[in-house]
Amino acid sequence: MKRLLLLGLGLVALLVAPLGQGTYVTYLLCSWLTFGIAAMGLNLTLGYAGQISLAQASFMGIGAYVTALLTLAGWPWLAAMPLAVAACFLVGLALGFPALRVQGHFLAFVTLAFNTLFFLVARNEDGLTGGPYGLSGMPRPDFGLLDTAQQPAFYYFTLAVFLAAAVLLWGIVRSPWGRAFKGLRENPIRAESLGLDTRRITLMAFAIGSAYGGLAGALFSPLVQYVEPGSFAFAQSLRILLMVVVGGAGFFFAPMLGAAMVILLPEVLRFTEGYYLMIYAGAVIVLMVVCPEGLIGLGGRLRDRFQAPRPRGDLQEGARP
Amino acid sequence: MKRRQLFAVAAAGLLLAGPFRPAQAEDVVKIPCVCELSGAGAVSGTNYRDGAHIAVDEINAAGGILGRKIVMADMDTQTDPQISRALVQKAIDDGAYAIMGTVYSGSTIVNMMVAQQAGVPQFTGSEAPNITAKGNPYIFRTSSGAQKGVPALTAYFKDQLKVGKIAIAWVNNDFGKGGHDVFVKEMKRVGIDLVADVPSEQGQADFSADVAKIRQSGAQAVFVYLNEEEDARFLKEAKKQGLAVPLVGEVTLTGQKVIDLAGGAAEGAYAHVGLATSAPVPAIEAFVAKFKKRYGRDTDHNGIKGYIGVYAIKYATEMVGKFDRKALAEKLHGLTLDASKYPGMLLTTSWDKTGELSRESFMTEVKGGKQVVIGTVPAN
Repeated sequence: MKRLLLLGLGLVALLVAPLGQGTYVTYLLCSWLTFGIAAMGLNLTLGYAGQISLAQASFMGIGAYVTALLTLAGWPWLAAMPLAVAACFLVGLALGFPALRVQGHFLAFVTLAFNTLFFLVARNEDGLTGGPYGLSGMPRPDFGLLDTAQQPAFYYFTLAVFLAAAVLLWGIVRSPWGRAFKGLRENPIRAESLGLDTRRITLMAFAIGSAYGGLAGALFSPLVQYVEPGSFAFAQSLRILLMVVVGGAGFFFAPMLGAAMVILLPEVLRFTEGYYLMIYAGAVIVLMVVCPEGLIGLGGRLRDRFQAPRPRGDLQEGARP
Repeated sequence: MKRRQLFAVAAAGLLLAGPFRPAQAEDVVKIPCVCELSGAGAVSGTNYRDGAHIAVDEINAAGGILGRKIVMADMDTQTDPQISRALVQKAIDDGAYAIMGTVYSGSTIVNMMVAQQAGVPQFTGSEAPNITAKGNPYIFRTSSGAQKGVPALTAYFKDQLKVGKIAIAWVNNDFGKGGHDVFVKEMKRVGIDLVADVPSEQGQADFSADVAKIRQSGAQAVFVYLNEEEDARFLKEAKKQGLAVPLVGEVTLTGQKVIDLAGGAAEGAYAHVGLATSAPVPAIEAFVAKFKKRYGRDTDHNGIKGYIGVYAIKYATEMVGKFDRKALAEKLHGLTLDASKYPGMLLTTSWDKTGELSRESFMTEVKGGKQVVIGTVPAN
């Protein structure tokens, strides 16, 4: 009950967030939600299935370029988005199939290489991607009643997509697949001995996570109205990874919090002028040292101080027959 | 545990303190500077901003623009196009009359759309050709685009160096690509044979393969179109491998930072520059001295760009006679500001109807560890 109340409050906060704010704040909120989706996907791969992927930005890039090219060619966004997501899902499968033979650090290197490869292709295939100049001037989606050309309307559009993605992920995590992901993360040998096809499950987690990256890209393209290779370079993958880790990998709400920390906190700190990036970096270091489980872990610890500790809900579920 | 609570309170305090800022009086004009104060573009962006601030202080000391003082807020884009876009948005929300920046073309191409939609004139330090090719009536350059700078070199290669075979080393980003494409077209036009076309990465550390390839190609001159740090690495490697043909650049190759980084290896390098801090023009010499006195370091051409950008806003606004963004943009199209009448421009400057700029430019050479102007190229 308390949880539902909190959820409702969060939802109301999201709905009223842009009211009375300038376009700058609204733009930042859109950016936060978009990266939140990408981080949700990575959280599935990293937090639930336990696989380190350093290619989330490239999937965002694939989604953004596919959406940009199609909408520039006159397709409506609603038709371009599923294709962008599907493309990322397929690329995720194709990359994951050989890559997931290796795990842990080795997978990290394979995905790192893939991200670099994507960057080079995006930059050098001028004819398709516009090369280093990128593509610009993508129209924002127009749904008849709701034209998202204005920033507040675009925010509600982004929020709707974000909520749909979150609900879907909630379902996935709670489905037998989600349980299997967690089983795999906690103890791969036991998961396998229980008859789980671990290869197939990791592959699915990776592909679904990639598809979320694609969805984020599909939103990124009309938000910024400009895509260029540098926006999806390796550093951006690290940034998304930071969101997941700062939020607390493996917790459902972690990516949203982590994305808020990575995107909104530096902006909030801007009033300190020359020092804001230093303060931000310092805050991240302190957080990681004090609480490696991220913001959610920190919240949990604080709660434990005032309440009797209780076992994590999802672990309890996993223990049931 | 006390300490941790303290952290939490401090963090919450910081978060809450953000939105509250002192209110500003109405009798000012806001010209924020959105530029690269951190990240890869920090050198250029910081000089641009510092140059602009010198102009702001001079203008304010002399009574401001039409009696209003200029307020210039600094906004750091971290050399990230998305952040730059958000900040231009923010500048507009805050009531900017005009915007200074950004310097990196990859950022400008994104954020200029926002300023265009809001109808706010923007003065960029970017040089990529496509910026003035988008039909944006609110964008104005503070230095010529690469499509003007590179052709100025064509005559130099053809008539002075009389080369038949040439190589190009360029950085594969939006800046380098712009110059590369213009250069390839120009060489084709005048019939000089391009024997090596060597792209490199932004931040590339090792240029040995690049230089080796150029050596083997038998080129009689090399056009070096890289960012400052890469310029320096290229020059060092060229010296190491004994590449004994003229190395000619555009804008960056003979800059003070390159000379400092490359040590002796920069000796004898040539470059065409739109703005030379070493130009034998009294107004520029005076500005460079002012900059050095105030900040304790030398400026590059970006400092001059920021300075004249602010003065251009002042002069054009005073011609319009009121603070009208649209009228300011319309006034600047086709305007020529004569340096003898408008000393803040340093050099006589004109803008065409796309916001492209033209003024005389310079050929420079590195002699004795200094950039020396060896010739003047008339405005084109």
